[in-house]
Amino acid sequence: MGKLTDLKQAMGGIPDGALISLGGNTLNRAPMAAVMELARQGKRGLRLVKTAGGMDVDLLCLAGCVESVDAGFISCETEFGLCQNYRRAVQSGAVKAHEHACYTVISALRAASCGIPFMPVRGLKISDLVAVNDYFSPVTDPFTGETLNAVKAIRPDVAILHVQLADEDGNARIEGPVYEDALMARAAKEVILTAERIVGAGFFENAQDKAQIPHFLVRAVVHAPRGAAPGACPGCYGVNGEDIRAFQKLDGAEALTAWLQRRLP
Amino acid sequence: MIRPCDMMAVEMARLIRDGETVFHGVSSHLPLIAVLLAKATHAPHAVHLNIPGGVDPESPRLQAFTSAGDDLWETAAAQFPLMDVFDLSMRGGLDVAFLSGVQFDNLGGVNASVIGEYARPKVRLPGGAGSAVLIPTAKRAILWRTKHDRRTFTEKLDFVTARGNVSDIVTPLCSFTMCRGELILKSVHPTSSIEEVAENTGFPIRYLQLAATQPPTDEELRRLGEIDPQDLRSLEFR
Repeated sequence: MGKLTDLKQAMGGIPDGALISLGGNTLNRAPMAAVMELARQGKRGLRLVKTAGGMDVDLLCLAGCVESVDAGFISCETEFGLCQNYRRAVQSGAVKAHEHACYTVISALRAASCGIPFMPVRGLKISDLVAVNDYFSPVTDPFTGETLNAVKAIRPDVAILHVQLADEDGNARIEGPVYEDALMARAAKEVILTAERIVGAGFFENAQDKAQIPHFLVRAVVHAPRGAAPGACPGCYGVNGEDIRAFQKLDGAEALTAWLQRRLP
Repeated sequence: MIRPCDMMAVEMARLIRDGETVFHGVSSHLPLIAVLLAKATHAPHAVHLNIPGGVDPESPRLQAFTSAGDDLWETAAAQFPLMDVFDLSMRGGLDVAFLSGVQFDNLGGVNASVIGEYARPKVRLPGGAGSAVLIPTAKRAILWRTKHDRRTFTEKLDFVTARGNVSDIVTPLCSFTMCRGELILKSVHPTSSIEEVAENTGFPIRYLQLAATQPPTDEELRRLGEIDPQDLRSLEFR
């Protein structure tokens, strides 16, 4: 069954307030084309989940699309620096920052993928994060009595992942680092893929490197060449520093709208 | 003239022992280069672990925009991605985690979260990444910070992102080490002085035996140049 659609349609199906996990890591293979389309469509109240976000989270904050961000780290790393739109939005109270330790995002997604309400973790022994966030809570091992911390499950409504190869049914192959993408695909209620290249039927059947994301988890597939730009996509392209800097200089939502219009796929 | 970035990279490398499993995360070019330097010099069997999951990448062609990219994957023989590294630390198998923050107290506490109140902060920081679970579970958490002033090294943290097994902190001025639960001065870099360290530290400086940090050797500097021809170890100073 063909699931190929366009960005407008695929993002159009995501309601305001949706809980969305974004694939990739910082400026590596983030689903930027999809994120830009969410911003163009003026979504509101989105709740974002990712271990380490960068320009994707920053752009949606500038566009006013975001209610909360569950993440361990939000920055474009050292060369491109802080996500100033995210930072301002949290400081003004417009966006809630739910700080995790990257591993607790992974644990929350693992719990969701196992269909259980929480996951116990070690660590977090002495951290103010436990007291100020209601998604952490002490839990007692019923067998030994040891106290651990539980992390509440996070079951995203949708995982949006950018991949190098996908077929029309939604089988998808990530080349290079997978980050948390395969886990997100299993934790989320459904998956939307953007892909550098759409491969023909039978491609994966004849390959030794199978798809890490199977078709039955996927709702829609979008052909989006350069879909991680201006971030990097391994094997396809590196970062476009000029474009990242141009984005970082935008001084408000109106400037962003014009910038996004110039980047229509 | 010794550059602070070279001194820090060398000093961080020397803290890695041969055979140890060592992890660094995002925004971490200095520890990334320190791990590569340690493996090229005194610790050839140290195991380099990272976010993309390439174990012991061989002569990676480093990228400026990330320390979590495919450069650390391409030339690795095996894969062991972030979630595996965390699991390893949780079961007691991670020897060293390199982490950072913006405030540190003299009891090994780290703040990488907020200045001001958590819910409505004056400054929202990027976040502690793995700190809250790695600092308590890794055998040693080695911290670095390229800024050394009284707001960074302070008696009272705005927020405690994590406490735990901090073993050392390397700065452009000196190296601290933890001794019986207290951060003490271990050595002062040749470009600084104990007076400068004391002036720029917001808690009283204590030490048992004060040494001068060994300056980078010619061999260490030569290796640094090979490992990092783009000089990404100075990124945080630009």
